[in-house]
Amino acid sequence: MTSTTVNNRSTGKVMIRLENLTKRFPGQKHNAVDNLTLDIYEGEIVVLVGPSGCGKTTTMKMINRIIEPTSGRIILDGEDVTTTDPDALRRRIGYVIQQVGLFPHLTIGENIATVPKLLGWDSKRVSARVDELLEMVNLAPESYRNRYPKQLSGGQKQRVGVARALGADPDVMLMDEPFGAIDPITRDRLQNEFLRLQSEVRKTIVFVTHDIDEAIKMGDRIAILQDASKIAQYDTPEQILTAPANDFVSDFIGNGASLKRLNLSHVSDIELTQWPTVQLGTDHNQALDMLRRSDRSALLVLDESGRPRRWVGADDLHRGAGRPLDEIGLPAGAMVEPRATLSDALNELITARYSVTIVVDAKGIYQGVVDIEQINEAIRGMRSSAVARARAGLAEGAEAGSTGGQP
Amino acid sequence: MSDTGAGVRTGIVAAAEPPHHRRTLTGYLLMPALLALVCLALYLYVSSQELDSIEARSLNAASLTKAIWEHVQLTAVSTLLTLVIAIPLGVLLTRPFTRRIRPYLLTVLTIGQAVPTIAVLVLLAVAFLFLGFQAAVVGLVLYAIIPVLLNTMVGLEQVDESVLEAGRGMGISKFGVLTRLELPLSVPIILAGVRTALVINVGTATLTTYINAGGLGDIIVAGLSTNRVLVQIVGAALTAVLALLIDYLAGIAEDFLRPKGL
Repeated sequence: MTSTTVNNRSTGKVMIRLENLTKRFPGQKHNAVDNLTLDIYEGEIVVLVGPSGCGKTTTMKMINRIIEPTSGRIILDGEDVTTTDPDALRRRIGYVIQQVGLFPHLTIGENIATVPKLLGWDSKRVSARVDELLEMVNLAPESYRNRYPKQLSGGQKQRVGVARALGADPDVMLMDEPFGAIDPITRDRLQNEFLRLQSEVRKTIVFVTHDIDEAIKMGDRIAILQDASKIAQYDTPEQILTAPANDFVSDFIGNGASLKRLNLSHVSDIELTQWPTVQLGTDHNQALDMLRRSDRSALLVLDESGRPRRWVGADDLHRGAGRPLDEIGLPAGAMVEPRATLSDALNELITARYSVTIVVDAKGIYQGVVDIEQINEAIRGMRSSAVARARAGLAEGAEAGSTGGQP
Repeated sequence: MSDTGAGVRTGIVAAAEPPHHRRTLTGYLLMPALLALVCLALYLYVSSQELDSIEARSLNAASLTKAIWEHVQLTAVSTLLTLVIAIPLGVLLTRPFTRRIRPYLLTVLTIGQAVPTIAVLVLLAVAFLFLGFQAAVVGLVLYAIIPVLLNTMVGLEQVDESVLEAGRGMGISKFGVLTRLELPLSVPIILAGVRTALVINVGTATLTTYINAGGLGDIIVAGLSTNRVLVQIVGAALTAVLALLIDYLAGIAEDFLRPKGL
């Protein structure tokens, strides 16, 4: 769901254009950001990722001019905002930082109301918006509205931080390692929640991280940055994983690029294999007959509503003669839903008894199975389509270029 | 919330932030009850003594009330002036554009604090023939500025940088960040400085009797110069009671002015 749909989701309209952006801090010999040009499309999450000190945070902070650029232009939604009133600019842009920075002396409600109040909304509209946002980030308004930040856990604080940034419904959000200071389990949950939220609100988001896995997970497009914010590659996660532009990118992705690629495809993207199934209560001889006719070593037993219950092999049928089907064989484990990634499916598959992962829908009803061949196929498919796309870009030649940045 | 870090940076450690929780009702009543008890004991003791004419001249309701009232006025006016000068100065000295002159000014003020108030008062009187209430206030203010100024600076500097960045990033103006974030968040530490200033002023105001500014110092000095121990005791005890009472009131003010959520 992340990036395979980039082209469908994006309207193709450039929301933020950075033109020859340069920053040199006083007393420094080298530019922290050197002549960066980047187009960011409406409704996409663009992740700026790179080693520490590469200038990714500086780049992001120049967009809302927390750091003023030394030269170059920032164009937001067609308007040059390089020299406009910075406070007015910032009220149009949501801002989330790693340390969250909630105002400790104000309640959660008052924190979220900050920008709407600055924009002079009336109090009714403000409080309605606060409740709406708290709902959006899965915090019950009536119990959280009047709490103070110190009464919240780290994960809850960051949710409030996101809600606060969405306060006045800005078109653009800047997020500086928003989940960086949160424990891995909570981080994973927050990332998923945020992606779900983004699928509803469709903001243009610039997201900074140093973690390539987070970039692959969150990004519709990823800009891998080298020293002084030089773009090593600016492309979709699939392209970056399948066709790294240079050694820097391959090094940065590190080992296991193909495993990472499995995070990009979902079970729903591939055609499922069917496995011989049998209803609970079926006669053993009939079941044996079915098993003989199939080329598999076991049958999948389904209950009345079609939920997988057990694996039953030929041995089980012989030995357990006379006992009901749901008392012999092995319980059916290793199940995933269609929106799971292929990486999840592979994970389950490795531990499964018959080397397949069962796919069930949201109600738990059997849909089919995924086996290792299909996952292999998917990887091969991704690679060849990426190669084809890379070749197509080659053919278009230099006049059009790709999506900006380095070829 | 480390005010020690900021204190080290300025080279001087400011008064610590007070404990966080409000006291219980008994906690609030304990101190006034104790002070009332001391006053009562003092009254009963003095009443039981046969006063000679010199003692009676100091130890009567009229002259005691006058001395206490003058003392309270000296303390209140000098503290108020201290705040009016020191808090804005503290704000100015934590802005980026004053970074260069900050160390020099702090050095000068710290040296200023090392000079005893009595010396300042005498200098004012002898060199400028500046006497009375106003001269006393000048002396007191000069002495009390430092704790308030330092606490204001430390208070402002200990505010979490990420809170300020979030505020600026959301489009709050520079002035708004100061008034809506920095100052409220440094209130506990600034108030601790104000309390220190008040206590210093109550104590030092006894010295202003030497430049004819009145106060409880009048009673003590009268007792000393006439060698009447009873008068000395009453003057000293009343000063102590007043100091403790003002410190107590300041403590209550701290409890209620501290922003919730801190």
